[in-house]
Amino acid sequence: NKKQINSRLAQEIKGTVKNGKGSAISGVNIVLKGATVGTITNADGAFSINVPDNNAVLVFSSIGYLRKEVAVGSQKTIEVVLVEDVNQLGEVVVTALGIQREKKALTYATQQIGGSELRQAANTNFVDALNGKAAGIDIKVSSSGAGGSTRAVLRGNKSLQGSSEALYVIDGIPMVNNKGAQPGSYGGTDGGDGLSAINPADIESISILRGANASILYGSQGANGVILITTKKGKEGKLSVDFNSSAVLEKVSGLPDFQYRYGTVGGDYSWTPVGTPEVKSDNYQKDYINDFFQTGSTFTNSVAITGGNANTNVYFSYANISSKGIMPTNTYGKNNFSFRQSTRLLNDRITISSGVILSSEVSRNRPGAGYYNNPLTGLYLFARDRDFTSYKNNYAVFNEARNMDKMNWYSTEEKQNNPYWELNRDPKRQSYKRLIANVKLAYDILENLRFEVRANIDYNNVLDDKRYAASGNSVSVSPNGTWAYARYTDQSVYTDGILTYNKSLGDFSLNALAGLSYQENKYNDGMTVNNGTVSLQYPNVYTFANMPYNVIFNSHPDYSNTIKQGAFANLSLGFKDFLFLDLAGRNDWASTLALTGNQSYFYPSIGGSAVISQILDLPKAISLLKVRASFSQTANEVPYNRVVPLSSIGGAGGPTGIGGINRPTQVPFTNLKPEKIVANEYGLETKFFNNRLGLDFTYYNGVSTSQFLSLAAPSGSGYTTYYVNAGRIENNGFELTLNAEPFRTDYFRWNTTINASQNNNKIVELIASNPNYQVGADTEGFASLIKAGGSFNDVYVYKFARNDAGQIILDKNGVPTKEATQTLVGNVNPKLLLGWTNNLSYRNFFASVLVNGKFGGVAFSKTEAFLDSYGVSKRSADARDAGAVPINAVTPEGATVTSIAPYTYYSAVGDRNKIMEPYVFSRTNVRLGQLVIGYNFKSKGANPVFKDASISFVGRNLFFFYKKAPFDPEQAMSTNNALQSTDVFGLPSTRSYGLNLKFSF
Amino acid sequence: CTDNFIETNQNPNQISDELLKQDFNLVGSPFSNMIFNLNGHQIEEDLCADNWMGYMGTPTDFVGNVNNTTYYIRWNSFWGREYGSVMSPAKQVIKLAQENNLPLFATWAKLIRILAMTKLTALHGPIIYSQYGTTANSIPYDKEADLYPLFFSQLDSIQTEFTANKEYTGFKKFDPTKYNGSIPSWMKVVNSLRLRLAMRISKVDPAMAKTQGEKALSDPAGLITTNADNFVNSLNGNKIPVAQICYEWDDTRMGAPLESFLIGLKDGRISKYFAPISNAALYADHPSVPYKGIRNGAYIKAKADHVPFSKVSEDFQTVQTRRNFTAAEVAFLKAEAGLRGWTGAGDPKTNYEEGIKLSFADWGAGGVDAYLADKTSKPINYVDPIDARNNFTAASTITVAWNESDPNEMKLEKIITQKYINTFTNTVEAWVDFRRTGYPKIPGVAKNDSNGDWGAIPADQWIKRMPFVTAERTGNTDAITDAVTKMGTGAKDDIATRLWWDTGKAANF
Repeated sequence: NKKQINSRLAQEIKGTVKNGKGSAISGVNIVLKGATVGTITNADGAFSINVPDNNAVLVFSSIGYLRKEVAVGSQKTIEVVLVEDVNQLGEVVVTALGIQREKKALTYATQQIGGSELRQAANTNFVDALNGKAAGIDIKVSSSGAGGSTRAVLRGNKSLQGSSEALYVIDGIPMVNNKGAQPGSYGGTDGGDGLSAINPADIESISILRGANASILYGSQGANGVILITTKKGKEGKLSVDFNSSAVLEKVSGLPDFQYRYGTVGGDYSWTPVGTPEVKSDNYQKDYINDFFQTGSTFTNSVAITGGNANTNVYFSYANISSKGIMPTNTYGKNNFSFRQSTRLLNDRITISSGVILSSEVSRNRPGAGYYNNPLTGLYLFARDRDFTSYKNNYAVFNEARNMDKMNWYSTEEKQNNPYWELNRDPKRQSYKRLIANVKLAYDILENLRFEVRANIDYNNVLDDKRYAASGNSVSVSPNGTWAYARYTDQSVYTDGILTYNKSLGDFSLNALAGLSYQENKYNDGMTVNNGTVSLQYPNVYTFANMPYNVIFNSHPDYSNTIKQGAFANLSLGFKDFLFLDLAGRNDWASTLALTGNQSYFYPSIGGSAVISQILDLPKAISLLKVRASFSQTANEVPYNRVVPLSSIGGAGGPTGIGGINRPTQVPFTNLKPEKIVANEYGLETKFFNNRLGLDFTYYNGVSTSQFLSLAAPSGSGYTTYYVNAGRIENNGFELTLNAEPFRTDYFRWNTTINASQNNNKIVELIASNPNYQVGADTEGFASLIKAGGSFNDVYVYKFARNDAGQIILDKNGVPTKEATQTLVGNVNPKLLLGWTNNLSYRNFFASVLVNGKFGGVAFSKTEAFLDSYGVSKRSADARDAGAVPINAVTPEGATVTSIAPYTYYSAVGDRNKIMEPYVFSRTNVRLGQLVIGYNFKSKGANPVFKDASISFVGRNLFFFYKKAPFDPEQAMSTNNALQSTDVFGLPSTRSYGLNLKFSF
Repeated sequence: CTDNFIETNQNPNQISDELLKQDFNLVGSPFSNMIFNLNGHQIEEDLCADNWMGYMGTPTDFVGNVNNTTYYIRWNSFWGREYGSVMSPAKQVIKLAQENNLPLFATWAKLIRILAMTKLTALHGPIIYSQYGTTANSIPYDKEADLYPLFFSQLDSIQTEFTANKEYTGFKKFDPTKYNGSIPSWMKVVNSLRLRLAMRISKVDPAMAKTQGEKALSDPAGLITTNADNFVNSLNGNKIPVAQICYEWDDTRMGAPLESFLIGLKDGRISKYFAPISNAALYADHPSVPYKGIRNGAYIKAKADHVPFSKVSEDFQTVQTRRNFTAAEVAFLKAEAGLRGWTGAGDPKTNYEEGIKLSFADWGAGGVDAYLADKTSKPINYVDPIDARNNFTAASTITVAWNESDPNEMKLEKIITQKYINTFTNTVEAWVDFRRTGYPKIPGVAKNDSNGDWGAIPADQWIKRMPFVTAERTGNTDAITDAVTKMGTGAKDDIATRLWWDTGKAANF
């Protein structure tokens, strides 16, 4: 009976609330359990509250700390210690090298996301799950389904020919993330990356160090920012077992709009030229495109066991993913084992720990994109008056002349195949066998002085095996079949030794560290062979012995071996816990710069922060006000083997066959320098109303210079390629995280976070002496270029030729003409990223809603261009229904034309090299990125059967609030620099939904 | 410790110069690749001179049927192949040969460079040659009037060095041609090349042409005179491009102009060049000869339409070599030299008939005697059974048989027409002859997409040259501006500007 209690609050309880270090916590909320009234602690952490009787229970809560309930009993004063909650937007964060730091001492922006938040929506890839949940990170996910690669860029693209993607670090150690090949206009399949090996269930938390400032201790490779993964460790105490199961279905959500009414006069195009009678029927088959795709499904099951005693703890987990994609015959499976242990010896002065991740992934028939050997080209472009069912049922026909099956398809176009032949006769398999193992020893030499040494091996064995059956498409497949095979390993050895010293002297605190690191990465160490269109000896036999003699077995063309040695030091000084100064420096020795005299290079960083709310007397509403600034310089290493390459065997070959000597025709680059990035950032962090509203704002700017650029050498120079260090790329922008808890009662909580960021990229200069220099080239009607004066990945396409009045100029046959050169129509990168996360709970129910928006930029669809020119788009049928396409055009004689025959119009635009202006769309999209609704089962009794259990409905990419592009620009055909926000017969966008079950005991 | 950095940064799958010194591979091994790259592939040959000269036609509507074959330049890559795969390695070979005291390899490399550059200048006109390999910021182009004398004087010194070392056998291991490293055989190439180049300039600089032509004809090392002397190089295990483009990609077929000549003149080589087809409806215009070609610059609606037309002969699927310079071409050069009154050329009729006989023998075709005697058969008109817009009327009315009373112009037409038929699969020189003499009389393109972008070609004209490449246009702008002025007043860097030796004069004598 609440009323009674509220009316008779008899006893006054006084006390203080402190954190684990004994410092008072202000602004802690204190409520009487079962009531709505309460109080907060003052600046000294003190409080007083009236309670009705000895049975009263007080609930203490504060952002950044775990909630705590305290039974009052007969006590009149209470000392409460709140434990910091690292899963919340917490006060302690993991920083470079795995070092935990107090957030307020940091002089740069960082954001930490708890593992449970990443697992909410049952993503198979944790990077995908970060989308919208952290500010300043632009994430693209390969549209190729489970196991596909991702692209995560922090603070804009910085490197023209290298990668601008963030470095991934597990428990302080850089992780191999060697991305496989990516599709291009002509085809290909996502080769995956190293990140899918991580089991999301093993992640305790993720810290995002957005700028070079934060990551200087990783050296060159941290220049693009760092995504730090902290894995779960064993915990002291009783054995605990966690089960997690999810079943997620995936359905096509965004197919292009097709027509099924107009047919062809024979040939490939569902058009009838002007002057010929229309071929039209309402009885053409209509459902074959929808029916082609299946419902994908992903089943994830994981179990984790932890336990330990005072000296030793262990963590073990197993996870299995079994998935089938929306493309028939596409499957993906993964088994993942993790083990971690930690033992303390010698009166806790020595800690020995180790960890192992074993992961095995196999994906079959991973969907690709592009023209060649892609089932979607034949499916989408199918001439409408033909009988699809018969091609589906008889995708192979027996060819008596060859006594074997032959693909059955009406078109001989290079880009068309029978989709079912492609699915059933062209099997593709990728497999990854991954081991990540590390050991670590920490020794507390003195009370404040600790030495740590650790070593890590990351090993990935990759197989990429693609087979294309004989008698398939003659342009891309040899008459006896084609085998594209690659097997290689990626290996990384990392070791470091670090000495740390922490000391408080009166008002001053000191955190110092110095260390050495060694890293050797050997990527793509293996072989490839691909007979292309040179015929195999015997049809459909995919063995080395069956390779024709004139095909070379190559070492992998992207082989690289790099050694990096680093010496680094970091000094953090604190004064009275409210002024901090951070100094860091690093010297790298990089093997890729051998022979240049520049292999050793140093770079520094300096930062400061001040907790103003602890210095000045601010209004009570302001719980925290902190400002920070940081300046750093980083150097980015250059690619492997660019200084003085040697001759290679291969190419056109020797007089008796293959294996000629190709001399290097690159100018030796013996004065090569590391790329340089200067990064500055300024931040402001505030909390209001007892921490119920928080704001974290960062402005940053970065300048990248001495970019490593490859140029075609002038024809007359005697070389074909040379390299320069040149260019100036500027990125600036802001990142903002707004966190609020608008409602909080004992039963109902609503936490809402908005992450926003904007990056402006400017290519100030590439090569001063060559103003026309550009990176990137036209890929048939679409050019994504990097040019001085522009921005990274500007899009150039052919537009209509127009007169000064804006009228489209027609030629003498009445056909629209195009401009002589491609013109800038936008940039593929979004201007503004916005993520809005809401976590709600009411009693045992919980929900999470994520709205994800990306604003600005353009998206380009070559798919739509083809659909129009082949007359299979709904757009083209609507135009034919209407009889004409309205146009504001002018004839060569100057007569105004207001309408044009659909055939004439769509023959002039579309396809791959014509007028592409109509196929540039706004890439702005806002979606319901994630929706989770669930129920927590509370355990009951003294010895409950389980500790924790929940069931939830999860949904991802459920629908768009706004989207103009005919495809999902965030589901990427390629996760490389090129072909961003572009669709060339990539997989259609999908939505996913399913159930997630958690059970712990 | 950074001691191992240099080694770490070198790719163990590559070869060091130290290892290459063994067996003299350092200087010898690049030759095979360089000689292979004297010839191009689909975009450098098949969709350029092969199509323009009517040897081959494409059934594919590349880039919406607007491409090189219809005089709208989409591909321009022979330049890159020659500088990247011939000139650049040749420069290194010359340097390494001198450093390693193997000077004859430098001589040989210089000859290969001339072979490459004489083909390239036939496409573009001015090219980078005398200043090649210098470190200047902008490397100037040589004008053609300077190039040819330079080629000739360099051929002089090459021949001198070869003459002094006829017995040298060091090339043997590295020679991808059937010469097997024989220096006397390469000396015949030098003379034959000199004769080819002399003929190119016979209208623009008759005096120099005569001097150089006579020098070639009189040099004691001799010319390529028998098919055993032919300059034929290995395909290094690759298919010959026409076979790959035809059989694997379905992107090329017999050319209609060549069909007009071969069928009209009842030429036995037709079955050695092309494969018969079975669909009689396609060759109803000449039912007894089951071949059908595609018009140069044809209208193509859909790829499938013309794919059933004649492929190249099945023989090309297994051929291991390709022709660069044949005895037949030399005989035709001598025949023309005779008409021009060059000393040592011999009788035009004899050379003309010898050329045809050499060609028939080389291609393994029969019936040469009847062919030589045929005074009546003439090129036929062409009918495209799919699209009548591609039809044409044969412009030429020549027969095969030599007639001493014909005027020189008619004799020259016969010589060049036979030279054209012979040089199947090696077509650049046929394009040179066509621009130089106007022969053979082939039709213009059916579909002419030339416009201001790359230069407009009038309906009664043909493509004159290839533009300079984009990389040079943007990266070596000053030199390009200079090169355009070197082509003469009013010249533009387009496909309508004539080369130096293409005088535009209809009369050849």
